Amino acid sequence: MKQIIFHIVLPILIGLLAPTLVSAQDSSLIVIGNEVSVPSEMDLKQFKSVIRGEKLRWNDGKQVIIALMKSNTSVGKETCTRIYNMSPNELNKYFLALVFQGRIKAPTFFTSSNELSTFVAETPGAIGVIDYTDDSTLKIITVDGKTKL
Amino acid sequence: MKLIDLWCFILLLSLSDSIFSQDTKIRGFIDINTLVENDDLSFQIGEYDLFITSELNDRISFLGETVFRYDLAKDDFEVSVERVIIKYNYFGNHSFLIGKHHTPLNYWNDSYHHGRVFFPTIDRPYLFRKNIIPLHTTGASLQGMNLGRLRFGYDLMVGNGIGSSDLKDNNSHKSITAAVHIRPLDRMRIGASFYHDNITPGAVDHHSPTLKIEEEVKQQLYTTSFAYFGKKLELLTEVTYATNTADSMGAVNSVASYFYAGYRIKEKIVPYFRIDSLNFEDEEFYYTNNDVTTFVTGIRYEINYLAVLKLEYQHESISLLDNINRVKLQIAIGF
Repeated sequence: MKQIIFHIVLPILIGLLAPTLVSAQDSSLIVIGNEVSVPSEMDLKQFKSVIRGEKLRWNDGKQVIIALMKSNTSVGKETCTRIYNMSPNELNKYFLALVFQGRIKAPTFFTSSNELSTFVAETPGAIGVIDYTDDSTLKIITVDGKTKL
Repeated sequence: MKLIDLWCFILLLSLSDSIFSQDTKIRGFIDINTLVENDDLSFQIGEYDLFITSELNDRISFLGETVFRYDLAKDDFEVSVERVIIKYNYFGNHSFLIGKHHTPLNYWNDSYHHGRVFFPTIDRPYLFRKNIIPLHTTGASLQGMNLGRLRFGYDLMVGNGIGSSDLKDNNSHKSITAAVHIRPLDRMRIGASFYHDNITPGAVDHHSPTLKIEEEVKQQLYTTSFAYFGKKLELLTEVTYATNTADSMGAVNSVASYFYAGYRIKEKIVPYFRIDSLNFEDEEFYYTNNDVTTFVTGIRYEINYLAVLKLEYQHESISLLDNINRVKLQIAIGF
């Protein structure tokens, strides 16, 4: 009887739960950075300061370049709410206002995670937020000791 | 004609390949108003604001803001260069700026500029409409932002004083502006500033051509501001205390202030009100001695971050004029 449960029922249960688990994994965000200037680890306060455009330069003097998914993409919406605690509309207004005040350079927005990843990899000082990927070529930034947000 | 020339120039710029290699962006803002006053209905074109930014390299950037607006006196549109700033980010969050600035004395003047889509109300407070503060300064400044735990920021500026042009100072004294602020919480900013200038006899203020003073005036302005734009609650208040001193008149003091509050009842809807007050000392000799109290209340509908609709009732009580009551509807957009 135990063998029946182990070999038949358990795989079925795992099969039923798998999409939920994958979906949960998909909704995780990761922070990626360029090899140049961007530290591999940050605490949450430092990260939020950087991603809000409050820090213009990294410690070595390189300019901070922010890369984000467009706020009408699902990853962009997740980024707005989880990282900025803003609605997509608020986020766009926030950055437009800062640019209008002459305080910061506008972030670069993308429609696909691949484009964003390529931009970050090729741009010194760039930092960005994308959905979870196991692409080992990316430099993933640890925030408060975690690789996923 | 000037308008057409400028647009041709902008068009050429936008077609140039080199502009893209420098990462140049052109944006604009405009507002259209519908006004009911004394049973008369009017339509108004507001300010047509052209905004250009360019990153020349990772340290040097340019910002330009030019406004086209209808000038009643000229019965035609006029072009007004509002900001032309070259910025050099020399270290961390510290920068050197040179050019024509909105004097960084007040939160409103330094945050919203001419983009009506950002204004929480339809019009600027009276503080910025009656020449209480010098709206523009052409000069050089040091700027810092988000320093330390309290996110401290500063602006220290030396520039041409009141009555000067963008080409030449009208006296040997330079105006001095010193402004500091902190942002202890997200969405909150607390600031204070100081302005000093010696105003030459006969100086004609760009924003007040009727201003003609007969002896030198030493002007000092002290401003405090508090701004909080939370998820629901919005609060913004500023007070400017002005001291004008002349040998024959002594020192006279005037106070200008406003208080704005709004509350977001739905994601896109914010009812609000604002009270403005200008109080001049009886002996005031520099400003027009004309006390003003205004009350506006309205509702803001934010279609999105680039399009905002505002409906507002405005009551103005001006000591030298009859009271004014009007209803105004504004659509402000960015593009």
